[in-house]
Amino acid sequence: MTMLNPDPDAALVERVKQGDVRAFEMLVVKYQRRIERLIGRMVRDVDLVSDIAQETFIRAYRALPQFRAESAFYTWLYRIAVNTAKKALVDMKRDPVTTLTALQGSDDDDETYRPGMEPTDGETPEALLASKEIAATVNAAIAALSEDLRQAITLREIEGLSYEEISDVMNCPIGTVRSRIFRAREAIAERLRPLLDTREGNRW
Amino acid sequence: MSQPDSDRSSSESSRRILSALADGDATDGEAVRAFQSWRDDPDARAAWHSYQLIGDVLRSEDLACEPAADEAFLVALRARLAGEPVVLAPQPRAEETAVAAPAVANAGAAARSRARWQGPVAMAAGFLVVIGGLNIVRPFGHGSDTPVASTAGAASVPLMASATAVNNGAVVADFTRPISPPSS
Repeated sequence: MTMLNPDPDAALVERVKQGDVRAFEMLVVKYQRRIERLIGRMVRDVDLVSDIAQETFIRAYRALPQFRAESAFYTWLYRIAVNTAKKALVDMKRDPVTTLTALQGSDDDDETYRPGMEPTDGETPEALLASKEIAATVNAAIAALSEDLRQAITLREIEGLSYEEISDVMNCPIGTVRSRIFRAREAIAERLRPLLDTREGNRW
Repeated sequence: MSQPDSDRSSSESSRRILSALADGDATDGEAVRAFQSWRDDPDARAAWHSYQLIGDVLRSEDLACEPAADEAFLVALRARLAGEPVVLAPQPRAEETAVAAPAVANAGAAARSRARWQGPVAMAAGFLVVIGGLNIVRPFGHGSDTPVASTAGAASVPLMASATAVNNGAVVADFTRPISPPSS
């Protein structure tokens, strides 16, 4: 049966369960910004947000074998993020110094990296400006799309419809939906490219 | 210089698949290709990030952020994930394997049989089973058990015990402690 899977992350989750840690990275890239925002609404300290988000993904990775797909992956991940943030807040009240140390990396033998110790990029005025520029570019790119492409990607990304539902709404085959969404993403990504390529010129 | 046409079309086809995978619409075979392209192709990784960022920004402008921040987050997490045991979930039930089966194809039966074990324990246990087996077989082959005792040395006692434990199906509990690597 080729029905759409109700959880868009199912294939990625299964792959991680089979031992492919790199597939987990794809989920991280997908959800990191949303998870950080969620935690940021609970925790004031900007540096801690990143640490708690890191901890969230580590916990999710460890718990993934027990994930039974009774809920969507992202709702499960959100729950872990909320619980991790709550626990961090409780621990902070009880013992601020130890909690901070624990969150900022427990691998004492690994001196090469301390997650969260560097200033969060989101804090600097330059980064804020860059974020605004990215948002403006996406909006301008969307506005420049043909009606078909704009409608397809909007129904997918904003309304959250499946390809099958979009094909009903737009009265076209699923293959066309898939192609329109891809072309919309490509057109927007093309405009974003100058903003997204990092100083080293090689992302990821 | 621009890319050769073949590279460009292959790269576009990878991105096309990543776009479908982002929406949960990739076929099993496509998904396998997408995982490979994420692993091997920086352009594919950049595309995956762009597509996800675009989706986030469309939903909410406050999710726009510099890619450097996203990349730093991933690099940091990678360092921590490297210290984690590899996730291997129990083998899915038959009705759940429809999606998973082709993706496992290259991992094969070895991965499936490993699935009940944590990686290091499984490796060490496998090692012990082999040695245990040798200990059982060799006395018959050589007509005397003296060489076995002298070559295996101090390790022979737990190894023999381990082989028994395997036969009883009580592997993990028995192997969690005495499995420090023999010589490394």
